[in-house]
Amino acid sequence: MQSETIPVEELRQLLAGVSDHGTQHLLEVEADLMQTTYLLSEAIEKLGACFMSVHEAVTAQQQELDLLLQQTQLPAEQQQKLLQYREHIAKEVNTAVTGLQFQDLTSQLIARTIKRVNGLKELLSALATHGDSMDSEQEHQEIARLLQEMNQSLNSRSVELSGGLRKAVDQHHMGSGEIELF
Amino acid sequence: MAKTILAVDDSGSLRQMVAFSLTAAGYQVVQAVDGQDGLNKARDQVVDLVLTDQNMPNMDGLTLIKSLRGMSSYQKVPILMLTTESSDEMKAKGRAAGANGWLVKPFDPKRLIDVVQKVIG
Repeated sequence: MQSETIPVEELRQLLAGVSDHGTQHLLEVEADLMQTTYLLSEAIEKLGACFMSVHEAVTAQQQELDLLLQQTQLPAEQQQKLLQYREHIAKEVNTAVTGLQFQDLTSQLIARTIKRVNGLKELLSALATHGDSMDSEQEHQEIARLLQEMNQSLNSRSVELSGGLRKAVDQHHMGSGEIELF
Repeated sequence: MAKTILAVDDSGSLRQMVAFSLTAAGYQVVQAVDGQDGLNKARDQVVDLVLTDQNMPNMDGLTLIKSLRGMSSYQKVPILMLTTESSDEMKAKGRAAGANGWLVKPFDPKRLIDVVQKVIG
């Protein structure tokens, strides 16, 4: 009967279109994420090197100051100020070391996102492949069965993708993580 | 003589920060880029403490710990995990594999040094 006919050609075109457009967008997303990873990594590497260099210079400066203090009698107030500066520097160094580690955490999150993007590309590719297997000459029931198979295949791939992507980064604050000794 | 710590992590910046913090506290640090590299370096030189990440290419942290615990020279060497993983399930796996402690990234240098001093002096 005419009323039971599925417009297969149009459906196939729709699936191919969704697959093509979706894949194009995901390729852009993937490229942007990889570029972000690269820029972040380069920036942190440079920041890390600058930080080490500054720390080395400050440490040397403090050693020189210690020598000077041994030779010179400074007023107590100035000695106290120097001590406060030293404590402040040590505290900020600790904070910087913690902060510089966030590149590692964000890289892991980006890598996880890229894996998910790749999984989505595979899903879209499967969508187009299934669409290609449909023929306008096929019976209504046969096409309905193919659509059902397609749905099941997409479901199982989606579950597989989520199962393989355990979230390893749960950090929601900028502080350091917990410590537990067994 | 300075005690030696093997720091295993696939992130260069993380290894740099661990080495920076521990060296400043007077420890000697050997770095490894993944579990397999860590195992090779642990075979070359018996260290006083192993600090390892979990998620790494080639060999993960749990496999490294199991491999080390299978070596007679590493049965009593303290091993600490330093990872982004914080679930109880993963901690239980780490403990079962032979880890002595679990530190969640990012670490605070002072707290890291306190723990290391507590474990190996």
